[in-house]
Amino acid sequence: MNPRALIATGALVVDTFREAFARRIFWGFLGASTLLLALLSMVTTIQVGPATNDPAMMVRQTQGLIATLFYFAGMALAVFASSGLVSAMFEPGRIGLLLSKPISRTHLLLGRYLGNLLVVAVNILYLVGGAWLLFGLKMGVWNMGFLLSSLCTLFVFAVLLAVIVLVELVWESSAIATTTAFGLLFVSPILAQRAAIERMLGSELSRTVLKVLYFTLPRTSEISTITQQLIMGQPVVAWGPMVTTGLFGAAVLAAGVWEFRRKSF
Amino acid sequence: MSDCAIETSGLTKVYNGTLRAVDDVSLQVPAGSTFGLLGANGAGKTTFVKMLLSSCHPTAGSARLFGREAKDPESRRSVGYLPENHRFPTYLTGWEMLDFYGALSGLDGVARKRRIPEVLELVGLEERAYHLRLNQYSKGMLQRVGLAQALLHAPKLLILDEPSDGVDPVGRRQIRDVLQALEREGVTVFLNSHLLAEVELFCHDVAIIQKGRVALSGRVRDLTSGSGYKVEVSELPEALRTEVRSRAKGETTGAEGIQWMFATREDANAAVDLLRAGGCEIEGFSRSRSTLEDVFIRTVQSKSEATQ
Ligand SMILES: Nc1ncnc2c1ncn2[C@@H]1O[C@H](COP(=O)(O)OP(=O)(O)OP(=O)(O)O)[C@@H](O)[C@H]1O
Ligand SMILES: [Mg+2]
Repeated sequence: MNPRALIATGALVVDTFREAFARRIFWGFLGASTLLLALLSMVTTIQVGPATNDPAMMVRQTQGLIATLFYFAGMALAVFASSGLVSAMFEPGRIGLLLSKPISRTHLLLGRYLGNLLVVAVNILYLVGGAWLLFGLKMGVWNMGFLLSSLCTLFVFAVLLAVIVLVELVWESSAIATTTAFGLLFVSPILAQRAAIERMLGSELSRTVLKVLYFTLPRTSEISTITQQLIMGQPVVAWGPMVTTGLFGAAVLAAGVWEFRRKSF
Repeated sequence: MSDCAIETSGLTKVYNGTLRAVDDVSLQVPAGSTFGLLGANGAGKTTFVKMLLSSCHPTAGSARLFGREAKDPESRRSVGYLPENHRFPTYLTGWEMLDFYGALSGLDGVARKRRIPEVLELVGLEERAYHLRLNQYSKGMLQRVGLAQALLHAPKLLILDEPSDGVDPVGRRQIRDVLQALEREGVTVFLNSHLLAEVELFCHDVAIIQKGRVALSGRVRDLTSGSGYKVEVSELPEALRTEVRSRAKGETTGAEGIQWMFATREDANAAVDLLRAGGCEIEGFSRSRSTLEDVFIRTVQSKSEATQ
């Protein structure tokens, strides 16, 4: 990357942070994280957990529980907090000036996307990193799998954000975009029961449709299983969900870039 | 090749399949010139500018900035733009806003730190406003900081869409002074405006567009020149007045006296002879030019009659 492109990317990221800071929902996200951490600090001192004599196992189980909570609650918060953050850039009166700058549309959109991703990354790092530190300091268990699980969460969010950006570009509505993201989160555990549903389906066609949906849409619920396995220190059985979800995200992001380049403002 | 700052050929934008907002416009703006694009509301001025900056894709035709395809982001490196109806992010202060857009223009931190106070002073923004959030700016202040944004990276071409919108008369004068100084440095200035008097004061070349088409273009001096001669007196006998009036194109009476308009120099001189012979003092004799407004109204009216 040439220095000018780097300066522009930095400016886009910093600007996204500034805009996030100016929103109440961002501070709500941070406040909720702080509350969770405060709660956690009490839990570890009282040592409430599943009955076991192995403190490491106990920590892992608690972390698994927390990670699941973070994974779904955190994802919902992140989606809400990011609602309209990328698309604020498309507002008339604002986009014209941005497009007049000597950077490509692809660069502009991806810079803003990266900014939004980093805003959420900082939040997740604060939450998961804080919890990890608490467990480490209080119980002497430093579970790297717990830290790694936050990467999975961020990965899934990156995919959802790509969907949000595309929907906002096509339908120009943050509400529809947020709803779509939640729809994907909701539909994933259902699709994950593919084997059971298949048995109930009569026609070959419907089975094929189910299969296509299963393999193309983000497999968020299976990825949550992967995070559990990482935390428990168990071997991850199948990375497939990550791969197909990643492909889906890349395709959607590419479609978003294509749509943004095509559009007249 | 690049002695044209702006060059369009057959530039066209059709909205919704039928509305020809800009219709086959081929325009050349030489580097170093001051160019005004005039037109009634909805004539297509803003759409034209948006296509120059590639924020709106043309339906047909092409545009070049200093010889480079407008589609190429590099073509905008030395362009400063002040959009119409801009809405700068209100979570930023004036200074932060300039810092952001300056970085997008490719200025590094050191250059921005040096340039920001320079341009803010140039556009006449008070120092107390530098670190004020933009939502506390008045309309005129926003316009000034917007202009500062357009000047920050020392562009070779300035594209300003209604720059004095919402600015008080003193501010307008200041803006004009800034633009005139830039013109002397060789910066090309392209102005979209309704304020004909202002365009007349500043621009050397104009084009008038109507319903997306160029209706008239040329040098302001040529367009407004040679419409007649004006003779002024303060008082004179009624008989003489009747005689002079019969030779004049028109007569106006004001607090300062009487003015006649003559179509030719000969007519005007003959009238002067008559007045002098009648013992009347001449207060003024001048060649009158039509204003840009006259030209504009005439063009717009004749074109719309032609289409009806
Ligand atoms: N995004 C759009 N979709 C459909 N029509 C549009 C769009 N933008 C502009 N138009 C139409 O194109 C025409 C030209 O608009 P434009 O904004 O270029 O005019 P203008 O000369 O800048 O007017 P003004 O002096 O009021 O600023 C108008 O009829 C307008 O309604
Ligand atoms: Mg306009």
